[in-house]
Amino acid sequence: MNRRRWLQLGCAQCAALAGAAAAQGVTPQWQAPQRFSKPDLSSDEGGLWAMMDREERRLRRSNFRLRDEAFQNYLSEMCCRLGGNHCPDVRAYAVRTPVFNANMAPNGMMQVWSGLLLRVENEAQLCAVLGHEIGHYLQRHSLERLRDLKDRAALAQFFGMFGLVGLIGQLATIAGMMSFSRDQERDADLIGLKLMRDAGYDTREAAKVWGNLIAELKANPEADPTKESALFASHPPPQDREATLAAATAGDSGQTHEARYRQQVAPFRVLLLEDELKRNRPRESVVLLSRLLASEPGNAALLHFRAEAYQARGEPEDANLALNDYMAALATSNELPQTYRSLGQLHRQRNEPQHAKAYLQRYLAAAPSAPDAELFKQQLEELK
Amino acid sequence: MNRMQHIIALGLLLLAAGCAQVSKVATGEAVVRDRLVVNVDKPWNQFERSMGDDNATWTQDGFTVDALRFYVGLKNEQLIAPTPNEPKGTKPLAFKSGMSTQEIIGLFEGVYSRGGSTFKLEKVTPQPFAGGNGFRFEFTGVRRQDEVKLSGVGWVVVRQGELFAITYVAPQLAFFQRHLASAQAIAHSAKVR
Repeated sequence: MNRRRWLQLGCAQCAALAGAAAAQGVTPQWQAPQRFSKPDLSSDEGGLWAMMDREERRLRRSNFRLRDEAFQNYLSEMCCRLGGNHCPDVRAYAVRTPVFNANMAPNGMMQVWSGLLLRVENEAQLCAVLGHEIGHYLQRHSLERLRDLKDRAALAQFFGMFGLVGLIGQLATIAGMMSFSRDQERDADLIGLKLMRDAGYDTREAAKVWGNLIAELKANPEADPTKESALFASHPPPQDREATLAAATAGDSGQTHEARYRQQVAPFRVLLLEDELKRNRPRESVVLLSRLLASEPGNAALLHFRAEAYQARGEPEDANLALNDYMAALATSNELPQTYRSLGQLHRQRNEPQHAKAYLQRYLAAAPSAPDAELFKQQLEELK
Repeated sequence: MNRMQHIIALGLLLLAAGCAQVSKVATGEAVVRDRLVVNVDKPWNQFERSMGDDNATWTQDGFTVDALRFYVGLKNEQLIAPTPNEPKGTKPLAFKSGMSTQEIIGLFEGVYSRGGSTFKLEKVTPQPFAGGNGFRFEFTGVRRQDEVKLSGVGWVVVRQGELFAITYVAPQLAFFQRHLASAQAIAHSAKVR
């Protein structure tokens, strides 16, 4: 067989995979299946479930779980509202990872990352993601993917025996794998919308989740998220997703439950904000916090952390922008103690000792047992 | 394993050993990166580079267990722990001469919370270090990859615009206390030359 014939075969493989993927799809008549029974352990699905059961036991003990009982119950209630009769089989866990993501295992274990909890503005937006993940579960996408991967692994190994020509075949296999995954994502999006609609949520919020993420990613024009994140390699581009979801939900209505969501997240929101800044991507943090402030103007915690993000970004006007935000946080009379500390440090750096002293005194009065109290007591002595 | 495979394995082993550059630090006076002089009360293993960055690291039980790390004479805008694979858009952890204590601790927080590990500041106190008015900070955290709970302590000073620091980090369970006294003795003996 000559080289040209191999190239043709590689292209045919790619086209066949794309065709197979296009043949899938969720129709408007889609109905949720009956509850799944635990698969036989000797089957590939049973093996996958057993592996995920082990992971779930590990996750339950993990130090990275957000252990807020009220929020955990709240998450479970939402999953039940969306999952209907699958409610007992879907178990969602909030995990402390400051990145936008959630994932679903075939055994019903869902991980909701804390970066997502910080970014969504209401219950409907969170349900758009939870509904999407439940969609993966209902369609048993993990099993499909496992079987697909097994087939492709064998195929890729076969192609690998033929040098450069084989490499083209491998690339086609990988391209097919990603396209398969992206089709699953589209299906899960459509199922998520149906589940949201049935539960009375405003489905138009789903597109906003992606629009918000796009705005954040644009803050770093030099970074290409499709190259740096597996989330974008295996998912449809966020712009396509936003457009598709917006088109599919035009004219819909429903509840967003914004106040209820804020109330549930409030006990650990400062932790989420601290973790966001530790990502050390201040340009994105400024965009994110500005968006959140647009819907919650005068929120002292958001103002404080946006000021910190400005300071970390360090562009020419950022010190003044930070100062404005710190002062606006103080004006709310609901300020965090650390706002005084930051103001004290900022004035100390500007060689304004009287202001620095006043703010550091207020910091020590507000947080006398802070871990850095001793250090600032000494700084106050030096400022006298 | 055939002969060629033996040769390749040996080559890889030598390459790895060469990259790691492990040496013994004997009891007595030691000089780190030609600038920081310390007294050592028991022998340590020294890696010229480790933990994915460029800083000298000493260890007793392996640097994934206990790590005494030296940051020597960092100048304005110099990266505190340069790594080759930072995602684009991540702000480099660069030291600046005018940084506040809080900002300097933020740099170490950035180093130790890389990859999603947690970092919780437990205590900061003023303390002389390396001949200057420095500070000491204590922290705890959980390492993301294996969920091991860690304790850490750092000694820091900025002298004439340059940063000097030593940090010691080890698992809370047994290891941290085991070598803490020795790490402290090294930090207390530090002098800049």
